[in-house]
Amino acid sequence: MDSYITVNDLHFTRGHRSIFSGANLKIPRGKVTAIMGPSGTGKTTLLRLIGGQLKPTKGDIILDGDNVAHFNRKQLFEVRKKMGMLFQSGALFSDLSVFENVAFPLREHTKLPEDMIRDIVLMKLNAVGLRGARDLMPAELSGGMTRRVALARSIALDPDLVLYDEPFAGQDPIAMGVLVQLIRLLNDALDLTSVLVSHDIPEALSICDHAVILADGVVIGEGPPDELKQSGSPLVRQFLNGLPDGPVPFHYPANKFETDLIG
Amino acid sequence: MLDFLVRRGQSTIDFISSLGRAGIFFVRAVVGLSFSLKSLSSLLKQIYYVGVLSLVIIVISGLFIGMVLALQGYTILIDYGSEQAIGQMVALTLVRELGPVVAALLFAGRAGSALTAEIGLMKATEQLSSMEMMGVDPIKRVIAPRLWAGFISLPLLAAIFSAVGIFGGLLVGVDWLGVYEGSFWANMQQSVNFQEDVLNGMIKAVVFGVVCTWIAVFQGYDSVPTSEGISIATTKTVVYSSLSVLGLDFILTAVMFSSI
Repeated sequence: MDSYITVNDLHFTRGHRSIFSGANLKIPRGKVTAIMGPSGTGKTTLLRLIGGQLKPTKGDIILDGDNVAHFNRKQLFEVRKKMGMLFQSGALFSDLSVFENVAFPLREHTKLPEDMIRDIVLMKLNAVGLRGARDLMPAELSGGMTRRVALARSIALDPDLVLYDEPFAGQDPIAMGVLVQLIRLLNDALDLTSVLVSHDIPEALSICDHAVILADGVVIGEGPPDELKQSGSPLVRQFLNGLPDGPVPFHYPANKFETDLIG
Repeated sequence: MLDFLVRRGQSTIDFISSLGRAGIFFVRAVVGLSFSLKSLSSLLKQIYYVGVLSLVIIVISGLFIGMVLALQGYTILIDYGSEQAIGQMVALTLVRELGPVVAALLFAGRAGSALTAEIGLMKATEQLSSMEMMGVDPIKRVIAPRLWAGFISLPLLAAIFSAVGIFGGLLVGVDWLGVYEGSFWANMQQSVNFQEDVLNGMIKAVVFGVVCTWIAVFQGYDSVPTSEGISIATTKTVVYSSLSVLGLDFILTAVMFSSI
């Protein structure tokens, strides 16, 4: 497998809490990879580590041959020009119109003439179906539209890698269907590598080529979706089937119920 | 006892590390403004938000403070038959002290709190993170123009405050209380020295501009990205700026005017 990102022996601690304690995983080039796991297992943290917004306590994050963990600020800003990231909130600039939001990375990193910027922005907006919304302000957009604009902005510079942080969270079924389709289509049409963090297991498994399941600071399952569905690991099975009790207990740790009732 | 020492030690370490972060942040933001057309247009936009939109509060406050000064000064000076010196009193008080100090306090409340809330909200809504992920340094793109806009705006606002205050003093002293206008202006011209009074007052305004804007943008950038965090950061901006202005004013006054 030709991997675009390789994570080796990743350790990351926030305050006194260990988020990763020796995680290893590979993200294949040109594929859609879904990163899943129970809440609080560090899925978004992993995206931020890959993007260099956080530094690992120990371990390597090899991105297209370079170790991001050792990059300085200038190198990080340079490598990020090859990345796009879709934030959960969309993170559109609230004082800029839809058009200007998508044009922002082009204006910052290229010296293209205005008419070419206009053409590129319209092409990207057309790809997400929002060419007609180019004059709207972010406050006038629905949640699904916000994410589609953010998606258009994240592919404005034709990146090699797009990171999606919970793209389906809080979306209605139509918006979710549109986003699922867009992620798959854009990945194949633009020859991207896509990394998708999601809680929405059916949607994520339906479009991904490769899936990684995180729990307790390590990778507990990795591989094509069909293989994972057959996994013998109780934790993987509990997560994929959404079972309320199992290795991740339903009850928060407490004294015995009878003891508590008697007082 | 040990817990108390640990907590005090931790808060001291936090304070010193925050000072270090603020220092590095300040240097990066000050040198972050480039001389491109894009930066210039961003700077002008921020001067409009930070400076021009503060004009109303500065002009109205300046007018009333000048009027009150003249009224209070007149009631004292008339006992000594020196009411003709009212122009001198109003001008010196405004140019040396009240102009820079009150303009800075109003600036911290009006523009400083707005800067903190705006930057804090950009952080909370991941706009700063998304900029970083696009390979754009938010310190250069967002912070530097706001910081420089504050540096430029406050001295100008302080000058306008003093000028409008003198006009307020003229209205009350001359038009209402009947002080001779010639004496009002002549005494002022005779006693107000450009270098010792006007220039020193402007130096104070520049120092206050740097400190107030630095505190405002740093508190926004360093805020906890929640509604409570932004509320705390905005309060800190107003409190720290006001105390810094008053403390620095004493130090600067002691240095500038002790030999006069």
